[in-house]
Amino acid sequence: MTPLVATLWLVSVSLETGGQLLLKRAASDPLAGDGAARWRYMASRPWMWLGILTYVVKILFWIAFLSLVDLSEGVLLSSINIVVIMVAGWLLFREKLTPLRVAGILLVSTGVAIVGLGA
Amino acid sequence: MSGSGRTWRFYLCGFLLLLAFDTIVQLSFKNTGVHAFPPEANWAWVQRVFGHPWIYIALAAYLGNFFTWMSLLKHAPIGPAFAATHLDVVTVMFASAWIFHEALTPMRLLGAGVIVLGIVCLAFAESGAHPENDAPTEAKGALGVTAGS
Repeated sequence: MTPLVATLWLVSVSLETGGQLLLKRAASDPLAGDGAARWRYMASRPWMWLGILTYVVKILFWIAFLSLVDLSEGVLLSSINIVVIMVAGWLLFREKLTPLRVAGILLVSTGVAIVGLGA
Repeated sequence: MSGSGRTWRFYLCGFLLLLAFDTIVQLSFKNTGVHAFPPEANWAWVQRVFGHPWIYIALAAYLGNFFTWMSLLKHAPIGPAFAATHLDVVTVMFASAWIFHEALTPMRLLGAGVIVLGIVCLAFAESGAHPENDAPTEAKGALGVTAGS
């Protein structure tokens, strides 16, 4: 892996994680209420928009990354996102990492990596 | 506890809907590319992309995906939820084999099996056996959210 590919990969993983955390921050705000009012509240706060923006920028880095590696290799390397977001959810949102949750998340991540290897 | 049963049904319906949207997005983008073939860095290609209904189906499904995801994230913990969305790798794999005659290699099938096993673990993790782990208590966190009232 060249330094450029590695950099694009790390930036993609960081942006994907950041985008998901921003969306989670927007969606789980206890002050947002329910129904249509919840959507209005989310639209009036920066978190959801920052999350969407982060995602759009992420897609650009991802496309640049995919132009340098095979799609299967991209799928393989993207499996790390799942583990990073698990750890981030634990750190920032105090999500409990029960043994079953960790097992499930690691299995899904491994499965995605195997699919990437198997193309 | 009827509350955790409701939560579980909400997750099930939400994730199935998300899975359907995700799968439609991927297949529609593929179909868009097929109809717009060959890819070119010019206006003619962009016109071909937007000249078929597939791109609009993809964008509509993307929108449905976003609203479903934001609804799920109200309570669903991001770590397990993000992992669970990867079931679309399995559905897209089988749909692609059926529609586009892409190869189902043994490695891909093994990977699909491991993903499904992981999803089963996550489903059990969120089932009524551990109501104390249900998400509403997790809506508070270090990003400045405190559980109100």
